[in-house]
Amino acid sequence: MTVMRNTREVVGQPTPLIDGIEKVTGQAKYTADLPAAGALVGRILRSPFSHARILAIDTSAARALPGVRAVVTGDDCAFTYGVLPIAMNEYPLAREVVRYCGEPLAAVAAVDEATAAQAMRLIRLEVEELPAYYTAEAARAPDAVPLHANKPGNIERAVHHRFGDVEAGFAAADLVREQVYHCAEIAHGQMELNGALVEYDTARDQLTIWSTTQVPYYVHLMLSRCLEMDMSRIRVVKPFVGGGFGARVETLNFEIIAALLARAAGGKVRLLLSREETFLTHRGRPDTEVRLKLGMTRAGRLTACACEVVQRGGAYAGYGIVTILYAGSLLHGLYDIPAIAYDGWRVYANLPPCGAMRGHGSVDVRFAFEALLDSMAAEAGLDPFTVRRQNLLSAPTETQNGLRVESYGLDECLDWVERTSGWAARRGRLGPGRGLGMACSHYVSGAAKPIHWTGEPHAVVHLRLDFDGGITLLTGAADIGQGSSTVMAQAAAEVLGIRLDRVRVVAADSMLTPKDNGSYSSRVTFMVGNATIDAARALRAKLLAAAAEPLGVSAEAIECEHETFRRIGDDGPGLPFADIARAALAREGGAITAKGSFTCPVEFQGGKHKGGAVGSTMGFSYAAQVVEVAVDIDTGMVTVEQVWVAQDCGFAINPLAVEGQIQGAVWMGMGQAIGEETRYERGLALHGSLLDYRVPTIVESPPIALHIVESIDPNGPFGAKEASEGALAGFLPALVNAIADAIGLRIDTLPVTPDRLLEALAVRRREQRLARELAREQAHQQEGVV
Amino acid sequence: MELLPPFHVATPGSIAAAVAAGQDHAASRFIAGGTDLMVNLRHGIGDPATLIDLRGIPELRHVSAEPDGLVIGAAVTLAELAEHPAVASRYPAIATAAAAVGAPAHRAAGTVGGNLCLDTRCIFYNRSAWWREANGFCLKYQGDTCHVAPTGKRCHAAFSGDLAPALLVHAAEIDIAGPGGVRRQPLAELYAEDGAAHLSLAPGEFLVRVVVAADPWPASYAKARARGAIDFPLAGVAVALRRSGEEVDGLRVALTGTNARPFLLAGTDALLGAPVSPAWLDRLGRLVQKQVSPMRTTLLAAQYRRRVAAALAQRLAATLGGLDAVGRAA
Amino acid sequence: MSQTAKRVRAFRLNGRAHEVLVADNVLLLDTLREALGLTGTKRGCDGGECGACTVLIDGTPRLACLTRTEECEGHGVETIEGLVENGRMSRLQRAFHERLGTQCGYCTPGMVMAAEGLLRRNPDPSAAEIRAALAGNICRCTGYVKIVEAIEDAARGAP
Repeated sequence: MTVMRNTREVVGQPTPLIDGIEKVTGQAKYTADLPAAGALVGRILRSPFSHARILAIDTSAARALPGVRAVVTGDDCAFTYGVLPIAMNEYPLAREVVRYCGEPLAAVAAVDEATAAQAMRLIRLEVEELPAYYTAEAARAPDAVPLHANKPGNIERAVHHRFGDVEAGFAAADLVREQVYHCAEIAHGQMELNGALVEYDTARDQLTIWSTTQVPYYVHLMLSRCLEMDMSRIRVVKPFVGGGFGARVETLNFEIIAALLARAAGGKVRLLLSREETFLTHRGRPDTEVRLKLGMTRAGRLTACACEVVQRGGAYAGYGIVTILYAGSLLHGLYDIPAIAYDGWRVYANLPPCGAMRGHGSVDVRFAFEALLDSMAAEAGLDPFTVRRQNLLSAPTETQNGLRVESYGLDECLDWVERTSGWAARRGRLGPGRGLGMACSHYVSGAAKPIHWTGEPHAVVHLRLDFDGGITLLTGAADIGQGSSTVMAQAAAEVLGIRLDRVRVVAADSMLTPKDNGSYSSRVTFMVGNATIDAARALRAKLLAAAAEPLGVSAEAIECEHETFRRIGDDGPGLPFADIARAALAREGGAITAKGSFTCPVEFQGGKHKGGAVGSTMGFSYAAQVVEVAVDIDTGMVTVEQVWVAQDCGFAINPLAVEGQIQGAVWMGMGQAIGEETRYERGLALHGSLLDYRVPTIVESPPIALHIVESIDPNGPFGAKEASEGALAGFLPALVNAIADAIGLRIDTLPVTPDRLLEALAVRRREQRLARELAREQAHQQEGVV
Repeated sequence: MELLPPFHVATPGSIAAAVAAGQDHAASRFIAGGTDLMVNLRHGIGDPATLIDLRGIPELRHVSAEPDGLVIGAAVTLAELAEHPAVASRYPAIATAAAAVGAPAHRAAGTVGGNLCLDTRCIFYNRSAWWREANGFCLKYQGDTCHVAPTGKRCHAAFSGDLAPALLVHAAEIDIAGPGGVRRQPLAELYAEDGAAHLSLAPGEFLVRVVVAADPWPASYAKARARGAIDFPLAGVAVALRRSGEEVDGLRVALTGTNARPFLLAGTDALLGAPVSPAWLDRLGRLVQKQVSPMRTTLLAAQYRRRVAAALAQRLAATLGGLDAVGRAA
Repeated sequence: MSQTAKRVRAFRLNGRAHEVLVADNVLLLDTLREALGLTGTKRGCDGGECGACTVLIDGTPRLACLTRTEECEGHGVETIEGLVENGRMSRLQRAFHERLGTQCGYCTPGMVMAAEGLLRRNPDPSAAEIRAALAGNICRCTGYVKIVEAIEDAARGAP
């Protein structure tokens, strides 16, 4: 799609969120805030076992308790759910086997909290415990019992991809290094707790759900599947949602359970999860081990990359196959690397299932890559910026694994962060315990191939114009705080030449809004943005046609700016929008609905190899960042003093929101780098609170200076690409690279908690002492020989 | 709606009335700010029939910083203590420690008595009812095994109040009210090295006030925690150090977060009579490392808490002793 | 449900006298949200971890999730809903909106109330003072950068 206008009235302007006033005044209604008078209280009984065969769940006493209106177990739903049609192996309530501590076993709906709690205590479990595995290594042991009968060795998916001649690449290198990196599992920690409100109309057999979801369409699909209800009998509404970061892309068990309860009880059920339960529902970034080998010439040119990745995915498939594919696929697309070999294993373990999290699949591998590259640059005596510049891509191009790169602003990103951080003058000269590090990263602007192939467009938007002259934008895209509704409104207003506040957005109510594939993989701005432009053009055509008669010229000769229709080139008073809207309504026979759509062309949908669709996109964002740290070697504390980040997002439709997204992404990377990790004790989550899962506070969060690079992508809406994921991954390696600059210690395990850092320093001191002793001994022996 | 135990709240207006309330209601708990107890109640820990809110007792609400010493009412909030001008200027370690607790809203509610009587903490204890039951409960509450040291018979939950060490290094005393009247004792004697019974308060007893002598030794407090706020101390150290010329002639070091109780470091007398030097700091560090006994009660490694307790003690002593930096190489 | 007797508790809520019939074991958070319909105050954790439920009690930021309703008797409680006057946003609300101090918005009411408590005490805070005052309020979206900017903005534009 070409750039639509030369002058930008609405897009490109920093714009407060169109639903921001509700948020700052407390009027925004999130799921838990919705009126629930008369709703039953839902509660989930969770497994205290990591791995067990379910022999019996006796709910008779609970059912007999006065005030209990429904009790459901795995017997009440024989259908699996999941995100990938080929990998749905999870039941909303466990059947036959329970595979992680915290997995739902039963649920009750009762008249109040106390009754629900008492009912939970009355449910009797009888199980036979099975061996449980909490690490990928244990789960892959030859004698390990498979969690899923059809997955021997507990391998959910093994990926082996070869592009280019890797052996020749390493042979041509002047420097080849190999290193193992480890990243702990992390969680999204979205502030709003999971919850659903479900109303079941028994007389009509109709069900309405309000839920904390990023993808209402998936909820719709899974409710239909698990409740065996025709989709037309289900309505899915997304109210305000308090963050997602990938946690809410998949349909989650509590949503289906709430629906099962509401139907069983014949009424309204509110199921609100605690913070601990929200952590147990999980779908976070898996514990990941990366073995990476890179080859480089003396000049810093990369010759080959070999990468092995093991992800501990938890007990069920979830998004696992996609995650392990992304990890390999996005080794491509950032730099020009002649040969890449990738071997990945996604492993089942008796832990809450992992899933998609911001930077899906790419983050931990990017950490390893940029950290190893930094260390090799140091060894080769090259500046880290020089090494990156040696390996830039040149757009347009196609990577070896079939990814198209149409715009590429990484060089400009590098220039800005290098200059603004004072890199050349300051690096290595900041004094003891302080250092600078840098790294690059990238991410997709939406997956070019949708998971559910239906033949429909990838995004559809409706614009409605009626007698009041307001433009109602109907979209299924879920605004979860990222500001997508604002971007859509801006795009429509820009194309139509009208005020932003003439556009009102109705989003994500399946009864009203067209289907959307959801808010994930940074697809909304790109795909729904393009669909919005398409719809706005269609509506504009109708308005221009209606303006042709009163203006006395053909539609092609008319433009609308500032809500005034004029002949192009005429600067007279023109005709106001309201008049033309009325004329159009008369001409079109009443209320106008203009439809727009967008589909990623097949040539953008990735390579032909198995798994080749993952990583495919129409536009990659690019980011570079510099991180400054202070390291306290007595306490092990790492303080991030400042971050400089530049991101090529193609074009910033809403620069204010782009800034917010980039800052948020960098900061979320910081959380993973310095403190966040899930921990388990024999499968029981030790991180189930915001005390134990250490999301950074404002106190240790640094200033983040940023620069938006606009490479104007040829296919993006107004040239835009994604803005909310690309900068995340770069923080992790930039941090460890800065620590290396500060204290000469290269960290290979995340997060860099103070205990790990002090231990690493202690190990280094021991090694240095041993090396000194060895040297002395050798010198001694040599003297003896002499 | 959060389901809390069906307690009712008594609000006595005098010490005598509070003592009487404690005797009237056998299954009662004293409470003030509730930043510790309410969290535990929400987690299903404890089932008191009555909460006796001590904040309505005027004598418990005052700080008096007179020339003859400092008296802090037990129901004074941590925010009030931290911001009290005389405390901040004359007892900076106490103000620093009070300001290091949690975050502002915790300090606005939490009190001196509450922080001194804080329940001990452990990764196996500060959990939901579901979690603790799934784990077979623990020695501290409803169970018979300590998951930190399963072969032992003692609870290792760690005391995690910030204020205690800062008061201990000032040799603070406390007044305790109970059925037998009000008695005064050293703060140090409030605590015992048992995570399940770390307070020596008898049933029906509560803290009335803390008394600190005038002319305190120069002192400061430092806290290791993973984040810049909210977190409990992984280790907290207070050091009071008096010099005569260059030589140290008074030294008290107290620690929190590493043991079931906050405690004064023993054997500091051996460090007297010498100036603070790198070698002196090494000896102090070894003394700390030897006496702290952090166990696996936090997610960060116990060994770290041992190391950082020593490092913080050295850092504070170096500053108080006139040495600019510890000066150890990485 | 609890067997605790309910009592009438009187307090000022957003400047108006209120009486609620409530048992001693009911949290202020639940009274606000469930009994009074003031859902602007959010629940984000299982007790004192996140700051999303920050309200002002007698002008001081406090956590509604650790406060019993009965404690508020005779005191003044202010929530995010109370900052709007005659339909106009407060300077802080306006600044959070205009400077994008809010993204998903879930932590926002607590953030704004913590900031309100700060500005009443200290109308011209430094960035460090802002960080100290908001230390207990977790935000997962913004990285806090624009939150600090919003509060600085509101302070500068103070009437």
